[in-house]
Amino acid sequence: MYIIKKSWLYSIIILFASLPVKAIENPTINTELQLLIDDTSKTELWKNIEWLNLLHYQGGPDLTDFLSQVDDPIFFNAEDGKTNPKNELEQTLISLYNTNTSDQDEHAQCRNIARFNWLKNKYPNSFKQSPTITCKQYNEWRKEVPEEKVSLIFPAYHLNSPSSMFGHTLLRIDAADNEQASTWLSTAVNFGANIQNSDNSIFFAVKGLAGGYSGTFIVAPYYEKIKEYNRQENRDIWEYPLNLTPAETKRIVLHLWELKNIKFDYYFFDENCSYRLLELLQVARPELKLTQQFGLNAIPVDTVRSIEHANLMKGTVYRPSQTTSINYLLNKLNSTQRELVLNISKNADLINSDAFLQQNSQTKNIILDTAYRYLRYQQNDAGRSESNAKNSYLLLAAINKTENFSSEEIGFTEKQRPEKGHLSKRLAVTAGEDNDQSYIQLDFRMSFHSLEDNLNGFLEGAQINIGGLSLRTTNEETQLQRLDLIDIFSLTPRNDFFQPLSWRVYTGLEQQLINGRDHLTGHVTGGAGVSYNLWPHSSVYGMFTARLESSSQYNQAIEPAFGISSGLLQHFSFGTAHLELSGEEFYHDEFRHRVKYIQNINLERNHALQLSVLRQRQTGLYFTEAQISYHYFFH
Amino acid sequence: MKRLVSSTLLLLASSSAFAVAPGGGGCGWGNALFEGQKGPAPHILAVTTNGTSGNNTFGMTTGTNGCNTSGAIGYSGKSMLASVMDEFSEDAAKGEGEAMTAVSVAMGVSPEDRAHFAQLTHSNFSTIFSSQDVTADQVYASLQQMMKSDTQLSKYAI
Repeated sequence: MYIIKKSWLYSIIILFASLPVKAIENPTINTELQLLIDDTSKTELWKNIEWLNLLHYQGGPDLTDFLSQVDDPIFFNAEDGKTNPKNELEQTLISLYNTNTSDQDEHAQCRNIARFNWLKNKYPNSFKQSPTITCKQYNEWRKEVPEEKVSLIFPAYHLNSPSSMFGHTLLRIDAADNEQASTWLSTAVNFGANIQNSDNSIFFAVKGLAGGYSGTFIVAPYYEKIKEYNRQENRDIWEYPLNLTPAETKRIVLHLWELKNIKFDYYFFDENCSYRLLELLQVARPELKLTQQFGLNAIPVDTVRSIEHANLMKGTVYRPSQTTSINYLLNKLNSTQRELVLNISKNADLINSDAFLQQNSQTKNIILDTAYRYLRYQQNDAGRSESNAKNSYLLLAAINKTENFSSEEIGFTEKQRPEKGHLSKRLAVTAGEDNDQSYIQLDFRMSFHSLEDNLNGFLEGAQINIGGLSLRTTNEETQLQRLDLIDIFSLTPRNDFFQPLSWRVYTGLEQQLINGRDHLTGHVTGGAGVSYNLWPHSSVYGMFTARLESSSQYNQAIEPAFGISSGLLQHFSFGTAHLELSGEEFYHDEFRHRVKYIQNINLERNHALQLSVLRQRQTGLYFTEAQISYHYFFH
Repeated sequence: MKRLVSSTLLLLASSSAFAVAPGGGGCGWGNALFEGQKGPAPHILAVTTNGTSGNNTFGMTTGTNGCNTSGAIGYSGKSMLASVMDEFSEDAAKGEGEAMTAVSVAMGVSPEDRAHFAQLTHSNFSTIFSSQDVTADQVYASLQQMMKSDTQLSKYAI
């Protein structure tokens, strides 16, 4: 009910702010308008899905059950427009006929241009007695915004920032002749939260997640998005051209104008960027049923899948990020040549050295290209550095002087496609033995991906799980085995070129053997360290960890512990192996040391078997646990 | 209720992830090779909510972030060039690329003359980008000069 309360507050503010616009209390009801009102009322046009989509209504089918997702009273023509699609339709008609035309851009025919167009199509012989309005601002805007084609854009997961692991989606609207021109100049349509620069990050986190921010649609040139995602954030971009017709695309563009500066509620999980884009697609093609598939959360990649499922996609374009490109190029070089890249990036004059000049011309190209890209990459987080600029410039000049210089084309494999990865929810049935006590366990995970899960479509070394629950039954009892609120594990390998931190944080409840029996224990555990690639698809890591634990068995409410954790992760073609050695010592002198081995075997995209063995030593005892699980991924 | 739960769930994770989440909106970015571009954009943590900063950009309302000086989202010549200087210089050195195409479109060059524009920019690289300190204004002026003195492209020069 928070929405209604908030909208009342807005109503009062907006009422004062928008008096001139809303001054339509006594319009002359002319005969044509009256006929329209009568007919729409008789045919119950307000029930039309296209109308409900345009006003972002949810709920129904009874008139009293509707609620619009728009959180901005100025969007509506009727006082109770947010909850009453019938009144809203009638008041919209009255506003469209409003004879007060002093500010034409603010007239309902411009502000509600999509609704106006829709009604004109429904009643092609009406609106003859309505005032003639020129939407100057709209027309100017449209000069820059084409309306021929739409692509869904999915900036994928962000290396070493698993909070972006869910990705993001936006739309791109292209002109008809884009094959020969450039999608760089296309229009990107993005739904995002309105952030104040003064908000600090913690405050921002609380507000953004609890719904304290409003969201609006933002329109920008697509090249800004390429720079933002490909370069600044080093995220690969997947583009999916959609098969919307120009007429359908036009409905999106008209509706976007209606949504200019209009506020929606913003929630990270469900009413987010991806959800709103699905609404836009439903405005374009009303028979689509995309949003209803998403209840509790709308993970961007799941919305990509729903669009694929609705047969909207007609192709794929892949834009590798700057780091993807650099790594791709580095893999083409041997270790001496890679060292040369590093040295040249520090001192571009080395392109005159024998070490460089003796390379063949193709290798020289790759070395120059890689060194240049690496220099640009280094400037991502920094201000302009004079030495970097000088070296970059020298390399560009050298590239320019190279005859027939060509950059390597970086393609993608089917295995990389994010939408082809395993689905987001996971159910597992486990049989196991814990120190001669056998058990059956049922596990549910709300989302998203573990290090050991099928890697296709996901980033190596990036785990993000939210909401996990395990129930265990032995012949004695059934107990809550664990409840994971959040579990993030980010392993980004270090090498001569990239030196990221690897880290982990997880929190929840889990059973711990304390004083001879299991006790449900609350904990927050975090760690930071480093990881390295031993060979392709394998990484070894080590980190320091800290843990706060709370149990009824402890003297103090919270017991701190410090530890280390190290392991080896190896991805095989058939699955993933993970060996981990870890341990922690508590402030009150207790300790736990463990070694754990997990072997995942991928049966199919959404089916897997997992074996795991744990040997743990803690104050006063040893125990061993072995289990086999069947994993099923679903949406 | 579901919001409360899900918000709490994520709160902890995100606040720690924020520490490593770079990002930033607007158009200025930190890796300007050439002068005349904006410095580092404030890290507004655009990652998680994919948000935008204060100067809300919806087409007409932009114009305060140093890039789209024309006021529209438009990419008329100079403002667009200032925004993609880094990428354009790379394409100019290599002789082709999407930034090259975008700039030629923004300069008003017709499809049939774009390959020639790219080729000419490529061969004039060291004149157009005479040092690492060249500004977007100077590059724009050089491109105009280059087009003016070319029979095929002179019709596009302003």
